[in-house]
Amino acid sequence: MNRPLLEVEDLATHFTVSHPFGLSRRAVVRAVDGVSFSLAEGETFALVGESGCGKTTTGRSVLRLIEPTRGTVRLDGTDVTQASKPVLRALRRSMQLVFQDPYGSLNPRMTVGRLVAEPLVVHGLASGREAGERARELLSRCGLAPWVADRHPHAFSGGQRQRIVIARALITDPQLLVADEPVSALDVSIQSQIINLMIDVQKQFGLGFLLISHDLGVVRHMADRVAVMYLGRLVEVAPRQEFFSQPLHPYSQALLSAVPREHPQLPKTRIALAGEPPSPTDPPPGCPFHTRCPHAMPVCSRVTPQLRPAASGRTVACHLHHPPEGLE
Amino acid sequence: MGPMNTHVPHTTEPHGAQHYLLATRYNRSALVAHLVLAGIVCAALLAPLVRGPALAQRLSVSLDPPALFSASSQSGALLGTDSLGRDLGARLLLATRVSLAVGGLAVAVACVVGTVLGLLCGYLMGWFDNLVMRVVDALLSLPFVVLAIAIVAAIGPGLVNVAMVLGLTGWITFAKLVRGEVLRIRQQPFVEAARCVGCSHLRILFLHIAPHVLGIVLVGITLTFGQMIIAEATLSFLGLGIPPPTPTLGGILAGAQETFFAAWWLVAFPGVILMAIVLSVNVVGDWLRDYFDPHVPIPVVRRER
Repeated sequence: MNRPLLEVEDLATHFTVSHPFGLSRRAVVRAVDGVSFSLAEGETFALVGESGCGKTTTGRSVLRLIEPTRGTVRLDGTDVTQASKPVLRALRRSMQLVFQDPYGSLNPRMTVGRLVAEPLVVHGLASGREAGERARELLSRCGLAPWVADRHPHAFSGGQRQRIVIARALITDPQLLVADEPVSALDVSIQSQIINLMIDVQKQFGLGFLLISHDLGVVRHMADRVAVMYLGRLVEVAPRQEFFSQPLHPYSQALLSAVPREHPQLPKTRIALAGEPPSPTDPPPGCPFHTRCPHAMPVCSRVTPQLRPAASGRTVACHLHHPPEGLE
Repeated sequence: MGPMNTHVPHTTEPHGAQHYLLATRYNRSALVAHLVLAGIVCAALLAPLVRGPALAQRLSVSLDPPALFSASSQSGALLGTDSLGRDLGARLLLATRVSLAVGGLAVAVACVVGTVLGLLCGYLMGWFDNLVMRVVDALLSLPFVVLAIAIVAAIGPGLVNVAMVLGLTGWITFAKLVRGEVLRIRQQPFVEAARCVGCSHLRILFLHIAPHVLGIVLVGITLTFGQMIIAEATLSFLGLGIPPPTPTLGGILAGAQETFFAAWWLVAFPGVILMAIVLSVNVVGDWLRDYFDPHVPIPVVRRER
C-alpha cells in the first residue's frame, strides 16, 4: 500500500439546532461523530450508508466546506483542519469535489469555458487565452468537443454537465477528489459512462478518490475499500472483495442483502431491518445500531463498540466479533 | 465519446450590439418601446434649442387651445398655452428633459446604493444585515413626504438635491429585492462549488452571485423610474421640488389642476408623455431581463408562422 494521501482522525461535525422562540432546549445533531480513515494515492475509498447517516457531511468536513467540530484531516501531510483561510484557499487546488447535482453546481450565467478555466484563474496558474486553451483540452479529455466551451451549461444534458463538472474539478491537477453521489442524479444509461470516465481520469491523474454513495452497484465497480457508515460512525471498513463476499457487521449484511440479485431465481436472504434509524440528535446508548440489530445482545445497549481489526485486513465495530472483556 | 460531437453549432452567430438589435427587431412590443423611448430621449436632448420667445409669458393668449386641434387658436402654439400664455409644447420639451434627468439620477443613486447594500446584507448576513435592515424598517415607518420635507429643508431644493432625496429613499426597494434574491442564490450548489474551487468572497459575491441579481435589478429600475418621476411631481407640487420657472412634467400637471376643466391639454399632453415614458421603460426593462437571462431563448431570426 502507498503512503496515505488523506488521513482523517476522529473527525466529528455537530450541528446545533435551536428552536424558534426557545421553547425547547437546543438539540445537537451529531451528523459525524468520530470518524477515522485513511486514503492512499490512487485509491478509491467508498463511504456507504443510508441517507442521513452523515456520509455527505463527512465529505464536506474533509474539504472544510463545513467546519468540523473536532478531529484532524491531513492531506499529503498538511493539516487541513488547522489551516488559516489563505492556506486553506491554496489547499483547495489539491482537493476538489464532484457534486451530486450537475444542474445546480454549474453557474448558469457563465460559459462552460469560463467555468472550467476558473480554478486556474483563481489560483493564478493561468489566465486569458492560456486558461481557455487548457479548459478546452481538459474538456476533450473528458469526452466533450472543444466548442462546448462557448456555450452555457443549460445547453447540455445531465451526463454532459457531469463531464463539465469533472473537467472543472481536474483542471488544477488535484490529488484528492471527493465524489458525492456522482452519478445518482443521472439516467442509468449515462451512469456507466460517467463511472468509466472517473476510473479513466483516476488512472491518468493518479487521484485519490473519496466516493460517497448509497449505490452499492457503483461502489462494487469503483471502490478499492469500502467503509460503512451508520448514524455518524463507521461500523465496518473492508477491502472491496471481502466486503462484498462476506460482510461482518450486521448492518453491512443488511445493506448488502438489499441489493437486487443478478438473477431472479438466485436464492434471496433478505434481512429486513425494522423501523427507522434513530435520530442523530438523540442516539441510543451503546452501539448505535442495537435498536435495529437482529443479533443485539444485552451488552450492546450499554457499551459502544470501537472499530477493531478483524480477519483479512478489515476492521469492524461490533461486539459479535470483539466481545467486550469481563462480560458474559 | 461520439454522441457529444454530433451537434455542430452555428459559427456565424451575431454577437454583442448586433445580436441585441437583431433580437429586438423580432419582438414587436420591445421594438415599439425602444423607438418611443429613443424618440423621447432625442426630444429631451434637443430641448435646449427651445429658448427665448417660446418660453415668454404672453398673458393675452393665456389658456389658448392647441393649434393642432382647434381653428380658433390665436397664439399658433401647436399644443396650446398655459394660464400664463407660455407655449405648452416648448415647456413640455424642457420638462421631459428635466424629469428624465431627475428620474435617471434618482434611480441611479437608489440602484447603486441599494444593490450594493442588498448584496452585502444577503451574503454576509449577521450583524451587518441586521443593522441595514433596521435602518430600512425605520425609513419605511416614516412617511415619504415627511422625510423628503426634512431632507429638502436641510439641503435646499434644486434638481440634484431632489434627485438625491429621491435616491436616498428609493434604495430601500433595491436593497430588499436584492437581499432576498441573494439569500436564495447563496443556497445554490454552484456557490458552494465556487467556494470549493477556492474563490475569494469578493469573487463569489460579484462574479457568481451578482449576475443573477441583474434581472431583478432591471425590474426594480423600471418600476422605480416611473415612481421617481411621479414623486418628483409630488415634491414640486408641495414647493419642495425644482423651483419654477423650470418646467417639470409633474410641475405642469400640478399647475393644471385649477384650470383643467377649461384647458384639457394642460393635463392630457404631460400625462401622455409621462405614461409613454413609464410604459416604454417598463417594456424595455422586461425585455432586457429576458435578454440577459440565459434560460430564456431569444430568437434572432423571424419566427415561422
